[in-house]
Amino acid sequence: MITGEQILKTVSGLLHQVLSSAGLSFLVPVVDRIAAAVAMFLGISVFVMFLVWMERKVSAHMQSRIGPNRVGIFGLLQTVADAIKLTIKEDIQPIKRDKVPYYIAPIIAFVSTFMGMVVIPFDRGVSVQDLNIGILYVIAITGFTVIAILSAGWSSNNKFALLGGFRSAAQIVSYEVPLVLSVIPIIMVTGTLNLSAIVEYQAVHGYWFLSPLYVFPVLVSFLIFLTSATAEANRAPFDIPEAESELIGGFHTEYSGVKFAMFFLGEYIAVIVSASVAVTVFLGGWLPFPLMGWLPLPGFVWFLIKLVLVIYLVMAFRWTFPRLRVDQLMAFGWKVLIPIAILNLLLMGVFELFLAKGA
Amino acid sequence: MGAILGYFKAIGLGLWNLLVGLSVTTKYFLTMKVNTQQYPEEKLPLPARSRSMIKLIYDGEKDQFNCVACMMCAKACPNSCIKLEGVRMPDGKRRMTTFKLDFSTCIFCGYCVEACGFDALTFVSEEYENSVYKRGSLLQDEHAMKWARPAHLAPKTEEVAPAAAGASAGA
Repeated sequence: MITGEQILKTVSGLLHQVLSSAGLSFLVPVVDRIAAAVAMFLGISVFVMFLVWMERKVSAHMQSRIGPNRVGIFGLLQTVADAIKLTIKEDIQPIKRDKVPYYIAPIIAFVSTFMGMVVIPFDRGVSVQDLNIGILYVIAITGFTVIAILSAGWSSNNKFALLGGFRSAAQIVSYEVPLVLSVIPIIMVTGTLNLSAIVEYQAVHGYWFLSPLYVFPVLVSFLIFLTSATAEANRAPFDIPEAESELIGGFHTEYSGVKFAMFFLGEYIAVIVSASVAVTVFLGGWLPFPLMGWLPLPGFVWFLIKLVLVIYLVMAFRWTFPRLRVDQLMAFGWKVLIPIAILNLLLMGVFELFLAKGA
Repeated sequence: MGAILGYFKAIGLGLWNLLVGLSVTTKYFLTMKVNTQQYPEEKLPLPARSRSMIKLIYDGEKDQFNCVACMMCAKACPNSCIKLEGVRMPDGKRRMTTFKLDFSTCIFCGYCVEACGFDALTFVSEEYENSVYKRGSLLQDEHAMKWARPAHLAPKTEEVAPAAAGASAGA
């Protein structure tokens, strides 16, 4: 059976051969990084296009509609058409904008979430950089989006955009706390921050959800993580920074064309990053489903299947739940998620200390 | 203690309600029932008396339009979008020669159809796709508005009689 690692080794081996035959072997490390970045960018862009299509299809079928079905087979090329439309649109900017933050904001929004993908292990040994502080890095780097949203809202010189930016700052800062608290029980058990090491732990000890000891605290952790990740990505039901009915478009009211597309892309990549972390930490990453290990599928296919399932869940949230009010959002974050996450942490600690064998 | 229990109860109830909501949307997602029509391919059947396009009734047997150019429709039209001319035939009856209706200003109020005393103008139900590429194409004459009434929509004789009587009286 072919694995992701073999594919990676073959491709990079070919690259090295070509470079050394051209007498440029000193360029190998640089070209390696650039190739990885380009491959990530292309892969993520195509996946985002698929996700936009999927979101529209999911929402359509939940509302007894068909969704996009004109461009390409099943409307699969609809997103390509949308992207072309966005790129050729006129770029309208407010005259009294604050130029530097106005231009930088969409770039930060895109780059900060995109950089989160760097540490995600798609298969055994397949990640751009296998950092030993993986989870910390992902949570820290995706937290940068608050700077993008705040500066976008502030520099647009528009009261709706400013309100959206402020709301977003409050929201992201509040939900960062339960996000971290929900991952800590897992780190406590595995004893590592390295994402691929966490998957290896599950490969040895079995899925969290199959172990009678861990199933309850991990389930609570998973739910808290999904909720706060949805809030972090500014998606409905936590989309008060954009809140179409209250704030027009929120922080991206004054953005159009390519700049708007970058915010949009950033939001979807944030969803992908959160879902990838959820898959890696809670659902066993590249491991096959229980009792289905005999299927000749490489690890990254299992990873993608789980990823799409988790993203479907996030989309179902969006098209099912009504949006929260600002005060409800804050109350939910501070009065429900954080206490439950701390209690869950305590519970996991007690389990680990007194019940786990060999601990 | 009761307060703490109430706190957890509220959270559990909220979670349960969210799951109920998710189950509804998931059910709809999985059944993939579609309640919308894909318009150009699928068309809704129209009621027989629905009103879309105004037409001039053409009498195939007599090989002429029913219109006698009495100008009642032109007078009834609130936007003055009907222009028509007629001549007196050798047998003494008036006949319409040109009929122009500018659909770019027509509001389809139907006053012309109501005002017509000779059963010469009518609403046709099926022709509701009237988009054109040039505005001028909306100015239609009697050739474009020619409509032969199908046999099953022919007026009953007792309905025609007063109209015919009115026609002879008017002439």
